[in-house]
Amino acid sequence: MNLEFNEDQIDALREFMNVSIGAATASLASLLGAFGTMHIPKIEICNSHELAGKIESTIDLNSMYYVTKQLFTGKFGGECIFLVSEASATNLGRHLYITQNPSADEINDAVIELTNILTSTIVSRLTQELGTQVQFFVPYLHFTDAHSIVYEGDISEYSKIIIISTILDFQDQQINGNIYILTKDEAIESLQVLIDEKLEEIYG
Amino acid sequence: MKVLVVDDSKIARMSVIKSLKEIVPDAEALQATNGLEALEIFQKERPRVVFLDLTMPVMDGYEALKRIMEIDKAAQVIVVSADIQSEAKLRVLVAGAKNMYPKPINHEIMKLIFEKDLLV
Repeated sequence: MNLEFNEDQIDALREFMNVSIGAATASLASLLGAFGTMHIPKIEICNSHELAGKIESTIDLNSMYYVTKQLFTGKFGGECIFLVSEASATNLGRHLYITQNPSADEINDAVIELTNILTSTIVSRLTQELGTQVQFFVPYLHFTDAHSIVYEGDISEYSKIIIISTILDFQDQQINGNIYILTKDEAIESLQVLIDEKLEEIYG
Repeated sequence: MKVLVVDDSKIARMSVIKSLKEIVPDAEALQATNGLEALEIFQKERPRVVFLDLTMPVMDGYEALKRIMEIDKAAQVIVVSADIQSEAKLRVLVAGAKNMYPKPINHEIMKLIFEKDLLV
């Protein structure tokens, strides 16, 4: 099984992700009544045991995090992980519930709501670009330190993982987060086929 | 007619150029991968139209648009972006873009751009 991507495939995947993130940012901007700054998505392929280190290298290790994980299945199946720091989550709760001191339930609810919009918009748009469909599972939320984000069970079914990551960035509201989309080996192969079909359409 | 297509993604540039060639077969497509490269090419080549992405490394599209308009107030810039927030559109229109369209651009949208937005 060839799980390596060539330069054109990576470029295409990054661009499809960019369009998907754009749709998600607009949905969240509407929810928050705010403007979100878009960032260029990063695509990395790594071995599953490297995942925790890759995530830790992009976040503040001194913060506590709300971590939401949502599985999706289909030709392009995998898992979406959304990290939001305790401070950002509190700001999100304040903003959505219009209160200075949101309760723990309100913060949890706000993070879940954000994740639902984010994951469904990003993955749906990405799969729309790729001409396929997926089904979503209910998101699972936990609150943890930076070193306990990835469980062993999360990666046991993966050998190689594509990490598609970007930053959610609403500066004025001080709400930001990191998004990672993980895909399994079978999905990587399907993804290569779908991307090649799109490249053929453009390049002929 | 010289047309400058600015995007850090090759597939995005090719997608714009493909639609462009369908509407204006003799268009000469120049390419830049970020705002800074776009400025250099704009200064030198003075393209009739610029298709400009917003989220790019080195120099983003907002800054490039501002600088292009400083060079030539009559520059015809069409922003093509994944950023579909209404505020983003407002910002680029205020900065002088002729219009802004969500990615990806297809044949129908390109036709509309040349019929409604551009003076060519």
